[in-house]
Amino acid sequence: MKERLLVILLLVSLGFSCRNSKTKTSEFAFSKTDSIPASEAEKLSPEAIADISKNISSPLEIANLLQILQVPFSQDYLAGMTQNNNQSTDFDKALKLGILGADLGYLNMYEKTGSSLEVLSSIRKIAGEIEVGQFFDFETLKRLSKNKSNLDSLLFLSIDSYNKIDGYLRSNDRGQLSALMIIGVWIEGQYLATQVVKRFPNKMLSDRIGEQKIILNDLLLLISPYCNKNPEVASLCRDMQAIKDKYRDIRITYTPGDPISVEKDGGLTIKQTETSVVTMSEEQLTNIIETTRDIRDRLILNK
Amino acid sequence: MKKTILTLAFLFVMGTLSFGQVNDSFMSNCLANTGDNTKYLKDFRVQLGKAIVPGELRYRANMSLWKNTRYRFTMCNEENSGGQLIITIKDDSHKLVLSSFDKKTGKLYSHIDFECRKSGIYQINYDFINGQQGSGVGFVSMIK
Repeated sequence: MKERLLVILLLVSLGFSCRNSKTKTSEFAFSKTDSIPASEAEKLSPEAIADISKNISSPLEIANLLQILQVPFSQDYLAGMTQNNNQSTDFDKALKLGILGADLGYLNMYEKTGSSLEVLSSIRKIAGEIEVGQFFDFETLKRLSKNKSNLDSLLFLSIDSYNKIDGYLRSNDRGQLSALMIIGVWIEGQYLATQVVKRFPNKMLSDRIGEQKIILNDLLLLISPYCNKNPEVASLCRDMQAIKDKYRDIRITYTPGDPISVEKDGGLTIKQTETSVVTMSEEQLTNIIETTRDIRDRLILNK
Repeated sequence: MKKTILTLAFLFVMGTLSFGQVNDSFMSNCLANTGDNTKYLKDFRVQLGKAIVPGELRYRANMSLWKNTRYRFTMCNEENSGGQLIITIKDDSHKLVLSSFDKKTGKLYSHIDFECRKSGIYQINYDFINGQQGSGVGFVSMIK
């Protein structure tokens, strides 16, 4: 009897361990500390910072998702032109440069070339004011904007210009402006996604919003070294922390699986079977939508 | 003396200009090869000397890839490169997700499509085959 019991126990435990290994899930979590100490961020090498700034989600990917979901274009989501606002400080200018960059990406993806020319001229004005105008080839960008067949070249040249500005600012002790520009790009992309999901609720889009939790720490790492150096940046740091707080209880779990390779017409396609799953309540999403809107609107109105 | 300086200056300017042009046309040719059904997203410019001991791919960068997005990774190398540019991608637990070079068969792919189902930060690695020297570009596009 004892022997039989032992065999049963052994089989049961084996069964559990096999099942666990197949369906073992893991979870993405923020580090335990609430905020990132500036000293930790300051330790980052220039290469690590460059890597982070390149790694931040592109608004083009949000715009691409909107197109896949057949969400109609709307001018309502755009920040508006610079003549209506007054960017008085370098802080405002760098942030607005990022915000307009995201808007330009959205317009380009939807091939709204008329409006993208207006945004381009605002970008030109602000870029000149913070002495990075030389990295934009406005004439070529303008020509490409008018010719819809060159969308890829237009996207390439626009992003390349922003990358050059980013590199130039960081290597000339103006890393603060580079960080602000990148945060501007991200906030505008986040604003676009959250405003669209409010009008057109969709699981894929709300998941993408929830998944931004993955890169929030990196964004905070970029701005952390400057949080105590300027009241405007300090306020932005608090805003970013407020967004992070709204993400704290959103769960991102991973289900394992091995990639599948498919060879077709001489090309190779890899289909991932490992998946990420976002668990986010309606209330959590609403909080993120509202917090993002409040911060972004305040930033573009310089309040 | 003046003539020599002028000639040297002229040669320098022409050299710089022609290098710029070659580089630009290389980039635009590669961009054109990413396919009609794609949209440009990012590029990685890779320039490496010959590896002392070939092993792990030497150029490393991180990139966030998002669920429900189909990416295309296209590799191009300049003519003077010792070998073809290859890519591997690893996830945050360093598990290999894809490689454009099949070590078993020796097959190389100039582009590779990836259907992402797990959002996260991935490690993108590039090198020239067998640790050769070379310069090239890796384009990342979204498939429409």
